[in-house]
Amino acid sequence: MAQEHCVIIGNGPAANQAALTLRENSPDMLITLVGQEPFPHYRPHLLPDYISGKLSENDLYVSPTEFYKRSGIKVRLGQQVVNIDFCSRELALSHKEIISFDGLIIACGGRQRIPERMQVFEDLMLTLKTPADAAVWIDRLTQVDSVLIVGGDLTSLSLTKALLSLKKRVFFMLNEDSFWPVPLGTEVAQQVRLRLMEKGVEVLESGRIRRVARISDVRLEVETDWETFKVGILGVFYGMVPDVKFLARSGLDIDRGILVDEHLRTRFDLVYAAGDCAQVYHPGIKDYWVSIGYENAISLGKVAALNLLGGMYAVETAPSSIFTVDGIVVNTSWWLEF
Amino acid sequence: MSEQSHYSSNRPDKTDESSKNIVYSTDPGDYYYAGVNVPCQNACPAFTNVPAYIRCVYEQRYARSYELNKGVNLFPGVLGRICSRPCEKKCRHGEPELGQPVGICHIKRSAADLRDPRLSYKEEVVPTLGKRICIVGAGPAGLAAAHDLSAVGFDVTVLEALEEPGGMLRYGIPEFRLPRAVLKSEIAAALRVGVTLKTGVRVGTDVSIDQLLGEYDAVLIAAGCYVSKPLEIPGEQFVGVHSGLQFVIDVASGRAPSLGKEVLVMGAGFTAFDCARLALRLGADTSTLCLRGTERDLRVTEEEIVEAKREGVKIQGLMLSTRITGSGKVEGVEFVRTRPGELLPNGRRGMTPIEGSEFVLPADSVIVAIGQGSEPLASPGDKDERGVLKADSITFSASVPKLYATGDFMTGPTTVIESIARGRQAAERIAEDLTGMKFRQWAVRIEEANITDRERSWDFIAPRRMPTLNPMGYRLKSTELEVELGFNRDDALEESKRCYLCYLHYEIDITRCIYCRYCIDVAPRDCIKLVKEVITNEMGGITGFVETTKWREVNAVVIDNSRCIRCGECLRVCPVDCISVSKVELVERVLLAGRN
Repeated sequence: MAQEHCVIIGNGPAANQAALTLRENSPDMLITLVGQEPFPHYRPHLLPDYISGKLSENDLYVSPTEFYKRSGIKVRLGQQVVNIDFCSRELALSHKEIISFDGLIIACGGRQRIPERMQVFEDLMLTLKTPADAAVWIDRLTQVDSVLIVGGDLTSLSLTKALLSLKKRVFFMLNEDSFWPVPLGTEVAQQVRLRLMEKGVEVLESGRIRRVARISDVRLEVETDWETFKVGILGVFYGMVPDVKFLARSGLDIDRGILVDEHLRTRFDLVYAAGDCAQVYHPGIKDYWVSIGYENAISLGKVAALNLLGGMYAVETAPSSIFTVDGIVVNTSWWLEF
Repeated sequence: MSEQSHYSSNRPDKTDESSKNIVYSTDPGDYYYAGVNVPCQNACPAFTNVPAYIRCVYEQRYARSYELNKGVNLFPGVLGRICSRPCEKKCRHGEPELGQPVGICHIKRSAADLRDPRLSYKEEVVPTLGKRICIVGAGPAGLAAAHDLSAVGFDVTVLEALEEPGGMLRYGIPEFRLPRAVLKSEIAAALRVGVTLKTGVRVGTDVSIDQLLGEYDAVLIAAGCYVSKPLEIPGEQFVGVHSGLQFVIDVASGRAPSLGKEVLVMGAGFTAFDCARLALRLGADTSTLCLRGTERDLRVTEEEIVEAKREGVKIQGLMLSTRITGSGKVEGVEFVRTRPGELLPNGRRGMTPIEGSEFVLPADSVIVAIGQGSEPLASPGDKDERGVLKADSITFSASVPKLYATGDFMTGPTTVIESIARGRQAAERIAEDLTGMKFRQWAVRIEEANITDRERSWDFIAPRRMPTLNPMGYRLKSTELEVELGFNRDDALEESKRCYLCYLHYEIDITRCIYCRYCIDVAPRDCIKLVKEVITNEMGGITGFVETTKWREVNAVVIDNSRCIRCGECLRVCPVDCISVSKVELVERVLLAGRN
């Protein structure tokens, strides 16, 4: 692959680790990293501390611009890939530029998952994935005194802690969709409930949200199966889903994410997927899984890059940072740390 | 804008015809052009003139829009709700970097919903030809054939085994998707041309095909596909295992079975979705669609997937059922995981089981909706290995005289629009066989056009969402409440603006072109090309261009209409007015000679 052009789609931990690994092992390779967001590589799990004021915005970012210049990695931020043609080995950007590639690593990450029945209320909800989302939270929190968190994932408990530190009143709605992709079994639900209540969170054991309406600039009315109440912000945390819709007609095998084998290979030569967008069969749970968590993403990014360079490394099926709940293996450092 | 109080036939506006320079072409090159450059119409099995009827909705001529549909697909109100939308898959607006396809189907429904109900669709009364034809089956293919044959003067009788006409439309599609009033109204309109309908007559039991062949000049079998395919795994005979099609028919007939709380549905098509969504309406707590492939392989629309999920249907992919567990009564299904394999000859991806990946999902009921086949009927003529009558796919003829077959009965399960198209094709063939005359002809209608009122900003209008009943409200309380509510006038107008109107043909007159290249500069796509050669096929159709960047090699500046999005920018900037626009559309003409 020396002297050839490798494009990496994404600018998260998997993408950046892949770029770094390629550079370390192939000094002459042309490497282009295309990120949809306008931000440099950041640590999303630090966003709650940024919201609470414990960290500054600069603390979020991993690599300064000089790092990429020094490493000879071309970074294109705020540019969206809309199509990939694997026959001509070209990808199209939304501004109609065409980029050729010899090797491709797709590490486009995930997007916030909002259950279909909630999507009609999307405009009234806040999520938290990017620094832009965090900026909205910071602005809105100056105007409201209460927040309802629905769902639950890697970010929600950290954010809850941040909100408590800001002296906000926090409601947490536990229901069957909480802590996706882990089903909220009785035992886990009890542990989570106790942990939240110890911290001063008001846990609502309600059914589903039936209606959300804005009643003023700083007030929402939320109707659940059993009650109606008013709250300042509705935060929705149902985990992430691979952001791969733009690949639907590309010819890649797509299920929830991009289907790859244990070497992260896709159907096409020299095309790999890594991080939150790659879906791998896991013999331990007899199911496909999509990796979640920062450390896992870094690990997968490295494997994809090494294999693109000719290696045959397999992904770890049980990294140390994950454990089993109800038969499903997930990275759960989030709730152990709470 | 007002419309005439009556409107008639599928022919172009007669008022337009006399005053304009219009050419009807049957040149193969023109057919080829229309096929390549109007991809939506070409993708429609019935060749519905999509740009024309969308333009009519934009002009708020809803009745004319309805008429353009009805002339070729017979049931615009029905298809506007349940069509499989092959046109949208080919819509140029959905090409990479151009956004999402136009909501063609929703616009079709708008034409049906928004037209003035006082306007009646008038069809001419024609003298009888003195020939009697019997059609077996009152589904979409049978009704389409009956309508077309009766409309040109044949004496047509339709025999339907079930209590009401409509076939799969009536019994195979739930009412929450297709209200019965809409269906009844459009079936009545199709039969109004003089068709005799006899329901409750089961051919093979109440009357034999041999008898029919003795009584009629031709017999057309359009009996559909009513035999469900089994999974062919152990346990399929257990109580609690239902055939998907029979389940939907039972619900439609008011005989819904009790399903229990956990329902697994095997299948990936619309019937499987209907079953899963009906299960929730019948009280199931969970309804899970189990797929061999992935959600991306589903043969339904994206809207269907979203609405099913909004209602609570779960979709699990990459799993293959191996046996149904329980002892006489369903307790669950054992699956193995699958992984995508190579492409099969039918274009679908093969799925390979993963060894050692067995797992069981609990279930109170299992609904199997993996497809269906035709029911063998006792008849003369050659049969296939299942005993189903064989017919030629071009002539629709069986191996014995006067006997024909069409629709899903002949082809196996397809879509409603395909069935309608095949029903019409069979009718045309029978008419020709019995009289030696052609009654209809497809031609390319070419007309000068000055439609440049499309604004470039319209290309960026977001697709309009179909309004639906709130799934958290009373949607799931009934199997009959229609989920999709239809566009209002504003939404229909906005969605219609999104259509590029691909039937418009842009052309540069190179004898007048001064090669200023302004048009190339303003074109939002690489649709205007400097070429040294135009490549054509044996029909005279343009198949490609040899482009050049060397000025001395340029022989022409051409517009590649297969890339053009009809924005009109080139036309507006051309300093010498050398770009012309014409309307090139495939239309079906009624040949009056057929009755002479």
